[in-house]
Amino acid sequence: MQFAKDSFYMALRERLAALSPNRTVTLNGATRPAVIVAENELVIPVEPLTDAFYLEWGAARVVERQAGNHALMQMACLISYHTLGTCESGVDRGRTLTALDLELMSICQPQRTSKRDFTQSPSAYLGTNVFWSGLDLDEVSGSEGPSRLTQGSQGVRLERKARLQVFFFAEGNLS
Amino acid sequence: MSSSALRAAMVPVMRRVRAYFAPVDRETETPSVFDPGKHGAFLLDAPPSPWLDLGWIDSFQRICATPVERLRAGKRGAPVAQFRGSLEARVEFDFREWGKLQLALACGSEHMNVLASDANADAQPSGGTPLAPIAIMPGSTASELVVGGGVVDSFYVNDLLVVDADYQQQIGYVGAGIAAAYVTDPMDVKRDPNYIRRVSFNLGRVAEKTATSLLLAQPLLGGLPPAGAGVQKVLAFVDREGGSFFQEWSALFVAEEESGGRVCFYYPRLSPTTPQAKASPKEDLVEIAAPLASLALRASFVAMPHTDENDGQTVVCYRSYFPAPMSGVY
Repeated sequence: MQFAKDSFYMALRERLAALSPNRTVTLNGATRPAVIVAENELVIPVEPLTDAFYLEWGAARVVERQAGNHALMQMACLISYHTLGTCESGVDRGRTLTALDLELMSICQPQRTSKRDFTQSPSAYLGTNVFWSGLDLDEVSGSEGPSRLTQGSQGVRLERKARLQVFFFAEGNLS
Repeated sequence: MSSSALRAAMVPVMRRVRAYFAPVDRETETPSVFDPGKHGAFLLDAPPSPWLDLGWIDSFQRICATPVERLRAGKRGAPVAQFRGSLEARVEFDFREWGKLQLALACGSEHMNVLASDANADAQPSGGTPLAPIAIMPGSTASELVVGGGVVDSFYVNDLLVVDADYQQQIGYVGAGIAAAYVTDPMDVKRDPNYIRRVSFNLGRVAEKTATSLLLAQPLLGGLPPAGAGVQKVLAFVDREGGSFFQEWSALFVAEEESGGRVCFYYPRLSPTTPQAKASPKEDLVEIAAPLASLALRASFVAMPHTDENDGQTVVCYRSYFPAPMSGVY
């Protein structure tokens, strides 16, 4: 399961680096593509970074009628990101969020990658693919500003959550 | 490598099926060949020549109706031998994209280009008397049509064009590069010099213009403009219920390889037929959000025979499988 999570993350990270080289973050002194797996980072009490994709893993289960000694698993993935725009007034925050939407949709294509073991270098191909469903983009929610509109998009901070299901063959026997 | 990983890679997982078609030489009934060894690993967006990408399809269904007969003998009539009866195989699916080829294949018969016509021409359901064609000049290619200075101004970016020869009263298949119709008697088509351009697959859309030529967004389907070709504007496509001509194409269907292994279905010769379900609609509605729906073209084909040169067997389709890189063999 960890190999599938790592492979999905690395696919998105490498695709973002190729698609939008300037979409980076600096974490712990290292600059890298702006795809972050929250559970892999140091526990430090700071707000999520702007203009970065945060991955969080959710429920997992064996897919029915696919189980054998090579069970097909599916696991929920939540990808969240927010922006304040690129200018002080924040008037481009909607456009910036749309750019992030498009980048996310682009790096999720094609909807598969090879499953690899990244605990060794170079990584080792594990013989199967990780593949995933289409993206569901949730409503935009705004904050840090007047909240007279239902979704708060008057706020300077615009946030989106996107969801998809990641599928992979379990490494162990699950019969 | 654990054996479970080997076996997991043996499960093909697909999301969609993509369709590619290529012309059959109707004079010789020679199909376009898909050689898995030479062509199998192509990028789905860049099929090898002469395969044409007709996009993702839905509701792909392969139907085998070849009966297996049994020879029985002995007191209990037990089967002692088997043989295959008359070959029968069909393919049905929905084209999700509409274009000249998709429409022609779903229609199955002559597929008409509605040529731009004189405003005073008599109305005809497949297009009236067209405006005169403009001659294609030497130096033209499948992607650039040289028409000359001045004349080029009568065309505009985004114009849809057909490029083909005048009908010369010949009998037989007509159409540059791809057989678009069969004329049995010149009187059937009223000796119309525009007839070939009415049915031709040799179409293109103007993307740019130079001082003397038209640059096309996609190469002409039929290839180089034939000698003496003329160009006319096309306003629409029309197909008809009826008609005597049968399209015949080679087809290749590829299941997108989500789990690593690719599955291809190659039909050397497919000819349109009626859907298996008697009341099957010609178009399927794919709901987007009611009342919005996209229209899909229902296409049904019967597989025609082909002789495999390696062993002389008569077959109608080939299924090829490209295993995932580290999958088990069995």
